[in-house]
Amino acid sequence: FQAPLYHYIVEGLLVVWIIRLLFFKSYKIHDKVPLTTKEKDELIEDWEPEPLVPPLEETRAVSKPYRVVSGQPGKEIVVDGYKCKNFASLNFLGFVENERISKAATECVSKYGVGSCGPRGFYGSFDVHLELEKRIAKFTGTECAIIYSYGFATIASAIPSYSKRGDILYVDEACCFAIQKGVQASRSNVVYFKHNDMEDLESKLRHQEMLDKKDVKKSSVTRKFMVVEGIYMNTGEICDLPRLVDLKYKYKVRLFVEESLSFGVLGQHGRGVTEHYNIPVEKVDMMCGSMEYSLASTGGFCCGREYVIDHQRLTGLGYVFSASLPPLLACAAIEAIDIMEEE
Amino acid sequence: MKPLRNGNVIHDEPPRKRFQEDFESTPLYIAVVTYINYGIMIVFGFLRDFLRRHGFEKTHASTEASDMKDFVPLYASFESFYTRNIYNRIQDVFNRPICSVPGPVIDIVERQFSKSGWMFEYTGKVLKNVVNLGSYNYLGFAENDGPCAEASIESIEKYGVGVCSSRKEMGNLDIHVKLEKKMAEYLDVEACLTFGMGFATNSMNIPCLVSKGCLIISDGLNHASLVLGCRLSGAQIRVFKHNDMKDLESKLRDAVVYGQPRTHRPWKKILIIVEGVYSMEGSIVNLPGILELKKKYKAYVFLDEAHSIGALGSRGRGVTEYFGIHPREVDIMMGTFTKSFGAAGGYIAGSRALVEHLRYHSHSACYATSMSPPVCEQIITSLHIISSTDEGKRRIKQLADNCRMFRQGLKKLGNIVYGNDDSPVVPAMIYAPTKLGAFSREMLKRGFGVVVVGFPATPIAESRVRFCISAALTEQQLQDALDAISDISDLLQMKYSKKKIA
Repeated sequence: FQAPLYHYIVEGLLVVWIIRLLFFKSYKIHDKVPLTTKEKDELIEDWEPEPLVPPLEETRAVSKPYRVVSGQPGKEIVVDGYKCKNFASLNFLGFVENERISKAATECVSKYGVGSCGPRGFYGSFDVHLELEKRIAKFTGTECAIIYSYGFATIASAIPSYSKRGDILYVDEACCFAIQKGVQASRSNVVYFKHNDMEDLESKLRHQEMLDKKDVKKSSVTRKFMVVEGIYMNTGEICDLPRLVDLKYKYKVRLFVEESLSFGVLGQHGRGVTEHYNIPVEKVDMMCGSMEYSLASTGGFCCGREYVIDHQRLTGLGYVFSASLPPLLACAAIEAIDIMEEE
Repeated sequence: MKPLRNGNVIHDEPPRKRFQEDFESTPLYIAVVTYINYGIMIVFGFLRDFLRRHGFEKTHASTEASDMKDFVPLYASFESFYTRNIYNRIQDVFNRPICSVPGPVIDIVERQFSKSGWMFEYTGKVLKNVVNLGSYNYLGFAENDGPCAEASIESIEKYGVGVCSSRKEMGNLDIHVKLEKKMAEYLDVEACLTFGMGFATNSMNIPCLVSKGCLIISDGLNHASLVLGCRLSGAQIRVFKHNDMKDLESKLRDAVVYGQPRTHRPWKKILIIVEGVYSMEGSIVNLPGILELKKKYKAYVFLDEAHSIGALGSRGRGVTEYFGIHPREVDIMMGTFTKSFGAAGGYIAGSRALVEHLRYHSHSACYATSMSPPVCEQIITSLHIISSTDEGKRRIKQLADNCRMFRQGLKKLGNIVYGNDDSPVVPAMIYAPTKLGAFSREMLKRGFGVVVVGFPATPIAESRVRFCISAALTEQQLQDALDAISDISDLLQMKYSKKKIA
């Protein structure tokens, strides 16, 4: 069976046409209308951008100037020249004016200087940082801890290093600003539940479970996290941890507890909300805390199992791309933990 | 050029005519060999993963808790492929802990790694007097004695260490006000605002300046903090090729003429974000070119001087002084105190309207705690030394001499060196990932601590070693370092450069 010649020629041309359609850019009705250079220059001249910031008078009309505090911001504080009792600083254990801590920090300056001059990966890790991480892990009863140089950056870097696009985060409506920024940076799907309302959270988790049953393949790779605070910075309430741990195992959702305010405050020894409710700390996947409130230093930490925490050493943005905590602040924190353990 | 006078500061540097930057391209055979290197490591990686998964080889990595085995896995296995198989082999080169002041010589705590690279332990010994070519100590202010340390100690006694409150509440101490005033005088701008962390300065303040409906045009090699700040702001982001003015001009032109995509409404604002000195390339931004474009297209410029403040310019005022440009021409000047001042924290400086706006709106100022008092005092003292004393002048000159000498020396040896002749960051190319580990270990054996960087901080086939010059290093130490580098480069065959330097 031999086809006539013109058949082959037509087939050949069709194949060439298909290749052209597949591989060469086709003519799109593009949204760039061709303009002449003169028209472009005119458009550039005409365009007026908004001012970068609103004018000074507008800003000054609504904002108040900062109060200036002279001297130590301890229990007695001098604000704008007036001597007052301090009910505004978050100085829970009174460590700001503690003599032992000041002495430890002074010794540290004489040994290490002030700045750390480098990120943790490049000669910015000091033995005091490693010591502080060990002490925090021992104090909280966890395997491993990691130190950040700023309390705000701790939770804001920790959340995006685990939760990526496509994962689901269950966050309280009244969560603090740092958590909101961490959630925004992670690009995950966020589900807000009513403040401290476990029924609302459970109903949302049940709803998601129903959706999961329909699409098993997708749900087997979607990670789910719950982010709660020990003491909520915006309302002052304590979270319902026993109920949350039950929900964690029932619906297979990981639990992150942010204990900036509750570390050093709740529990018999100050270990935070897990000690307050008498729950073993391994039930919580990760506990984030801040050294800026109870420990009167600067910086933050995350502690938990080594499997969870070690990941942040390479993917936590505020850990890898930022200079490490100045050694004197690490020494002050170690001394503060010593005092907490003794007294 | 007539000297401009504004207050007490005279800007009389002649505008630079020579802009000497160098990015020699990779020789072809090196690129091929590097990719083959990666290929072999990936094949072995798959093989070992297979063995580990089926139990033929022991896994030393930590695992999930026993009562959580039926949860969705926390990490996708291919995400940590690079960590498990390639990074783990040269783990001893990174995260080296030190136990002395991070000055020109340091003491490194020795670690012994197991053969597979998974576990390590501290041997208890300390490697003393290792010359430090890795820390960001440009003007040598990382000292544990001297006027800065004494002033910090005094301030600890006066203020304590912590400030448990944010700037807006009770955290605005008189020492912060003093620091901001001094910084504004030094930079010759109207006002300045300081923050506790350099990373947070960028990521928390860019969202206050731009929002949805604005356009950000940023350099391709910007730092992670700038990228995060741009993402959090919600504005549209476009990237231009590193330091390429033609590409920037074409992007600006398109942006102004065609407006927002699809709706063609005009943009509210256009912000160009660049850095003064890029820490991985060692290049300096082409600031006169950018300011010309800014005036023509009415955009705003954000300049991140993390590495250049204190290090460039005859009085250390940064990139603006280096090019002889008045700082008022740059809308937003940002910098950090970690590198040249030996402290921690960041600042944003500019017009009074800008600073007042940030004081009221900045996320850092409202929600994050303020800088610790001893750190502020260190900055005030070092600022005083840099701007008004002869010691400061000596350090700046020493840094410039050291940079020039080291860079020329390295080029003469035959290594490929990227970047500008005047920048204090000197990257030399290594390319192959396997040579990274070897170079760093050999340098440590000879008593020098260096920083090697690979993927993902650099493009995959362009791993490099990055030297940070310090004013505290003597010429003898730099010469010894050059001799050691020469030995190792011969050993590892790193002298790739084809240029002949006399």
